[in-house]
Amino acid sequence: MTEVRINQLHKDDLPWIIEYDESKCIQCGKCTATCSFGAIKPAIEQRKKSCSIAEKNKLEKVIVIKQELGFDNHCRGCGMCERVCPNGAIKAVRNTDDRYSIRYRAQTGQSVKKGGRSNLNTEGRTLDKIKIGRISQMTDPSLDAVRHTFEIKTPFGRVLSADKLNFSVNGDKLECSSPLPPNRFIYPIIMGDMSIGAVSWRMWEAMAIATAYLNEVYGIPIRMCTGEGGIPVRLLKSKYVKYMILQIASGHFGWNRIIDAMPDMVEDPAGILIKIGQGAKPGDGGMLMANKVAKYVQEIRGVPKADLLSPPTHQGLYSIEESVQKMFLSMNAAFNFKVPVAIKVAASVTSVSVYNNLLRDPYNIVGGFFLDGLAAGTGAAHEISLNHTGHTITSKLRDCYKAAIKQGRQGEIPIFAGGGLGQTGSFAADAFKLICLGANGVFSGRLLLQIAGCVGNDTERCNACNTGLCPAGIASQDVCLTKRLDIDKVAENLVNYFIATDLELRKLMAPTGCSSLPIGRSDTLITVDKNVADRLDIQYVC
Amino acid sequence: MEKVVINGIENNDRMSTQALLQLIEEKLEEGYTDFEINACGQHDIGGSAWSRTEGKELNFYITNPGQRVGAMARKGTNIFVNGSTPADVGWLNSGANIVVKGDCGDTAGHCAASGKIYVSGRVGTRSGALMKHDPKFETPQFWILKNTGSFSFEFMGGGIAVVCGYDCAGLKSVLGKRSCVGMVGGIIYVRGNVADIAKTVSLKELDDEDKKFLKSGMKDFLTAIDKKGLADTLLDFSEWHKIEPLPTEEKVKKVSVREFRKTQWIEGGIFGDFIEDDMSIYPLAATGKGRLRQPVWNKELCVDCELCMKNCPNSAITKDDNKIYSSCDDKCIGCSICETVCPKAAWTMKNNQKEVD
Repeated sequence: MTEVRINQLHKDDLPWIIEYDESKCIQCGKCTATCSFGAIKPAIEQRKKSCSIAEKNKLEKVIVIKQELGFDNHCRGCGMCERVCPNGAIKAVRNTDDRYSIRYRAQTGQSVKKGGRSNLNTEGRTLDKIKIGRISQMTDPSLDAVRHTFEIKTPFGRVLSADKLNFSVNGDKLECSSPLPPNRFIYPIIMGDMSIGAVSWRMWEAMAIATAYLNEVYGIPIRMCTGEGGIPVRLLKSKYVKYMILQIASGHFGWNRIIDAMPDMVEDPAGILIKIGQGAKPGDGGMLMANKVAKYVQEIRGVPKADLLSPPTHQGLYSIEESVQKMFLSMNAAFNFKVPVAIKVAASVTSVSVYNNLLRDPYNIVGGFFLDGLAAGTGAAHEISLNHTGHTITSKLRDCYKAAIKQGRQGEIPIFAGGGLGQTGSFAADAFKLICLGANGVFSGRLLLQIAGCVGNDTERCNACNTGLCPAGIASQDVCLTKRLDIDKVAENLVNYFIATDLELRKLMAPTGCSSLPIGRSDTLITVDKNVADRLDIQYVC
Repeated sequence: MEKVVINGIENNDRMSTQALLQLIEEKLEEGYTDFEINACGQHDIGGSAWSRTEGKELNFYITNPGQRVGAMARKGTNIFVNGSTPADVGWLNSGANIVVKGDCGDTAGHCAASGKIYVSGRVGTRSGALMKHDPKFETPQFWILKNTGSFSFEFMGGGIAVVCGYDCAGLKSVLGKRSCVGMVGGIIYVRGNVADIAKTVSLKELDDEDKKFLKSGMKDFLTAIDKKGLADTLLDFSEWHKIEPLPTEEKVKKVSVREFRKTQWIEGGIFGDFIEDDMSIYPLAATGKGRLRQPVWNKELCVDCELCMKNCPNSAITKDDNKIYSSCDDKCIGCSICETVCPKAAWTMKNNQKEVD
């Protein structure tokens, strides 16, 4: 018999415990074969063969399934074993007494890393405390969500106020002599913003296909952001690039390929997004662990196989003013001032200062302000950043919008809000509420993975995106795992989700009598929470 | 019995709608059937009335009415409006014949369920909205000499509308903008330009039945509005079309995502220059290349006890005459039971997970 010592990791230290019913198990081996973490293995146990006193020591050996006890291969609760078991003999059960985060730090001297969102949901979601309470009845007619036509579009790009436009009358025509900054009317939802590398090639391509399909087949002008890991040249040179927003983050990954491909591009991209920060881990740069830096990722990014930690800031930018003058100018110049350029920052106490500063925009080159809240997801982060840094999206969006109103400049630089949208089930409701609070549009990443089949959630399930062992083949570069992902099914599920979301958006626009986006229509919102009402300046009800 | 004449305004004293309608009702009770009403904007004239005199229909000759002329009017009622009318002519018409010699305001023929409405001019926005047809009653008909405003025939569920497009040169569409949204039933015959109709309806050529209907119906229509001279112009079928809702299955017919990827997406995939991906899909607990782990046998350690063979759930392990053990890739799922049961560690599991290259 082996000794058991108190310092050893035991299964009740771990966040998930494997519950195994030997009487139902037929030793088919599927559970151990499917577990990408190697968290369960066949083992041999001994059983007493007989109860008779004469044969007291007679033991027989049986094959059972046992949980592995290690920091590298512990169970993440993904539930794949339960899915494959023909008899329901095995499942992962949440351990409410776990001491994992203490034991991990104590034994490894490392900080805890993971993917997904903040799992520390202490404050509740503000968006869930808000309802759409202004229903058009006798005051103005409700619309029919299914059969009426709605204009669900929002500007992406700099909007100039009328006094900045030099109009003149030429014969019977009104002409504008001042140059107009690029502006595209797009669907108010931008998907993606997850890099090649963070997600598998199949997942990334499925998002791109879904985007193209929604545009080409359904006429929903949704856009996808590439994330910071570059873009495949084949896509860049195709007509579908017009649906893609190219991201440039501090690592500038993949941009040499974009520059190289410019003469061969048949369409301009939908936009450019300068990523300064992200809501999941504000103040951190992107983080891609070496185990996901596959060969093609190395090529596109121009780096060797290593942990890729993007710097927390663009190293050439030292101030807001410099960002506008230098970064916005360069990115506008990249496509000859024909493509709108926006910026993405993590929501922060300082967001209003940043937005106010951008609003001055003397060159008319700031095409959008993306504000990412603390409930945003990520492929890899230190748990301390995920759980303890960041700013909620709702009030910060509202602050920025109201700061613009104060100057009479709302809408001039469209605001896009994101971070945890759809977290509690309804993406459309979250989007609608944020739009009413002043967002021109919203963006979503984490949710797309869940649509694709990710089983992770915000209560410590899976969230192993950083390991590259994603059991769904979504956040992995492994061939065996990625090939579990059906690219057509994923694209189809994304398409269906956004078609449903489109209908649900109309189901909220219709009763409020809005046939176009109710940007800033906070009069439609009510809350039973007095603090929320006061902070957001919406109607308190009880 | 003689005709009842009611003046909606006399000596600058205007009757209220209530007073006028109650006066009509009184006269109906007395058996009167013919009314000349010189209205002053009073609403609902000619509606929900019926003749108390056996075999005689009601006739209303109206000038200057208010909204909802002939609203909720019944079969056996004939309404003649000399001049234009404001909104809601023939609202919920349940069988009356209504003739308007002039234009109509908005929502003319709204919810008309039976009877005929003839208009010798134009009709306003949302006209013909929610027309319907209860098969136990006569099909409602709504004839318009000129054109309609926008949002016409919204949610139309049944009946026949005829928009003759006369005097409409230069109009982009004789049905206005966003016509036929939510239309699920009925037919609209239309002459002239049509644009901006809902995607859920189709614009089709006329067949012989349609032409027959228009020929006979046009004669009655033009007679009623005193425009018989237009028959030749309006019966030139080359300018006519009909609009019907698409059948439900046609509405949802779209190329599948898979088909889209195969036929319209970038050939070979966007990562095709980096990765060879045949797009095959591995199940959970796959065999062959899809295994996360695969067993490797070490001859030196094997004692030929056959425990691995006996315990392999997929009968993947075999041995040959020379006691060389092997595991069949097409059967093995990499469960590692062989490794576990082997007393001498002759089987070890090799990680098969491989980063894409």
